[in-house]
Amino acid sequence: MSDGAVIAATESEPDWQRLHPATLALAVVKLGPRSLNFLPAVAALGFTGNWVYIVPAIGAFLLISLLAAWFHWLRFRFLVGDDEVVIESGVFARQHRTIPFDRIQDVGIEQGLVARALGIAKVGFETGAGGKENDASLDAIALDSAQALRATIRAHRSGEVAAPVAADAPEASPATEDRLLFAMGPRQLLLAGLFNFSLAALAVVGAGMQFFDGLLPFDFNVFNPRDWIDIAEDYGLDQWVIAHRWVAGVGAAISLIFIGFASGIATMFFANWDFRLTREPRTLRRTRGLTTRTDVAVPVKRVQAAILVTGWFRQRFGWHELRLQSLASDGGKENDHQVVPFAKLDAIDPVLDEVAIRRSDAGQSWQRSHGIVALGGLIGAVGATTGGLVAVSFGQELGWFGPVAGLLIGAGSLFGARFHRWADLGEQVAIRRGAWKPKTTLLPHASVQSVDLKSDFILRPLGLATLVFGVPGGSALAAHEIPAIPLAAAQDLRTRILAARARS
Amino acid sequence: MTDTPAHPTDPFDAEALNAAEGLDPVDPAYAQVLRIATALNLIPLAIGASVFDALLIRHIEGPYGLITAAAWVIAAIVIVSFPSRRVSRWGYRIGEGQLRVARGWLFRTDTIVPFVRVQHIDVGQGPIERWFGLSHLIVHTSGTHNSTVTLPGLHADLAAAMRETIRRHIQTDFA
Repeated sequence: MSDGAVIAATESEPDWQRLHPATLALAVVKLGPRSLNFLPAVAALGFTGNWVYIVPAIGAFLLISLLAAWFHWLRFRFLVGDDEVVIESGVFARQHRTIPFDRIQDVGIEQGLVARALGIAKVGFETGAGGKENDASLDAIALDSAQALRATIRAHRSGEVAAPVAADAPEASPATEDRLLFAMGPRQLLLAGLFNFSLAALAVVGAGMQFFDGLLPFDFNVFNPRDWIDIAEDYGLDQWVIAHRWVAGVGAAISLIFIGFASGIATMFFANWDFRLTREPRTLRRTRGLTTRTDVAVPVKRVQAAILVTGWFRQRFGWHELRLQSLASDGGKENDHQVVPFAKLDAIDPVLDEVAIRRSDAGQSWQRSHGIVALGGLIGAVGATTGGLVAVSFGQELGWFGPVAGLLIGAGSLFGARFHRWADLGEQVAIRRGAWKPKTTLLPHASVQSVDLKSDFILRPLGLATLVFGVPGGSALAAHEIPAIPLAAAQDLRTRILAARARS
Repeated sequence: MTDTPAHPTDPFDAEALNAAEGLDPVDPAYAQVLRIATALNLIPLAIGASVFDALLIRHIEGPYGLITAAAWVIAAIVIVSFPSRRVSRWGYRIGEGQLRVARGWLFRTDTIVPFVRVQHIDVGQGPIERWFGLSHLIVHTSGTHNSTVTLPGLHADLAAAMRETIRRHIQTDFA
């Protein structure tokens, strides 16, 4: 493609836009971590004694990277049409992509620290196509034009689907204006951070604990003094520990607990600073973040399921977290949207009302899965015990950890098996699992796309079956399955769920 | 679905499994397709084992011939006996606005997809399937789990007819 053709096209359609020039500044910042790739080359030059070439080599690397970023910027353009977004990109291989507004489920706006200083934002279009790589993004344009773009797309969508939504949404009148549903101030964040006591952060401190991290269903074995002594060694305290073992243990414990609390509070503040969840005409909109501010809109009609997460300790105080599973996914890692990070149930209920999902009440009678679900953990426990004992028989002292871990895993899986429960609430199924971190999935029947009834050579003689539901969106937190329930109950539930009408 | 009593769990009585669950069997010719596909996978493996045997075991003066014999016997057993048994575990039922596909015995999965939840449908035919006049039907849903449900071993005409049936339902849902 010649330059003349590009210029002619640009002149005939003057609406083509480029990314914000400050994107180039962002590219410079991104160069920092990427230049690590260059370190081996520098080291090689140094070892071979060619010191003179190091500075020119680094210079050439920087120049080439910046030129590449500039070419990339030059060859990237987008067009916001009446009902579609067109993106053309690629330096050598040109890619032309058209996204109709109708197919955009969600427009996310994300700003990192540098981007905030520059007044630009990354706009992500969620199209619900499978896989992250299929979703387009504009990285980055000016913040006000990003917001204008989102307003355009939202206005288009609402103009089109206004009639059917008004017909079946009872709360149509309050939904016409923006309403604050949930917000978190510094005090709430501090409280949430205290409950966010992060054992995972402790695991980073000592390699010995990372070893345990992989074996246990939870992060750290608090009751094992050897773990604490390991940590003391990391601090170079091992000589003193031998002399004053208990003092050192207490001291290490206190400092570790402090680290746990501090990291919990810090992650909570960084992630959820100025958390606001607002109900807008057709979406729930969430803005949050201290350094990286994200702005995500979840279309209410696209919500497929709600997940209530709590912890064994915070549960006693009535604190819960609410996530919504939607067709569009949240950020890079998460597959569901955290819409309420930390709140009591009476603050969560209004949010659930907006997406027309009902929470199971306290008097709900739950049905349990069969205890056979502990089998996998028990096999693991037997394996760990056997492995450990074999190691001991070869004279390896550390092998005693095997039986200990095996006992803990076995006890944990037996205990946890009692917490697999489910209930049919009429219009939706509630699935509950986990003792350490109880999760309740509220799955409307209408969200279910397909049902698997599975049985195998272990479940079949016991007259049991496992139900697995195919639900759009997917969630890492909760596989939508009810394990090991009586076959007749499973078939009955399957019939009732499949009778439900589609939720579009 | 059908209020069946506990079905027979005899692993060698596969007919009873499908019949008791009210499922139709797939075309028996699919066993030939599976057999050829299995053979294409296993024969190179067996040849590899023979070469290994000839080159290495003989070289180190081990028991030459053992591995070769074992590989070919196992391959022959798997090619001759397993495909027909696997085919008899597949079952399907089309009706009442839903497609039901069941497969496997050791780990049996019985999937139901309502027609109104189908996003799009493929009818595919591989070279071996074409030989026997068979096709497979692939149903796509928007669920993350089970985003595709495959039903192999259908006569080509039947697969096309099933596709038309499901397609009509997708259309009526939008009306």
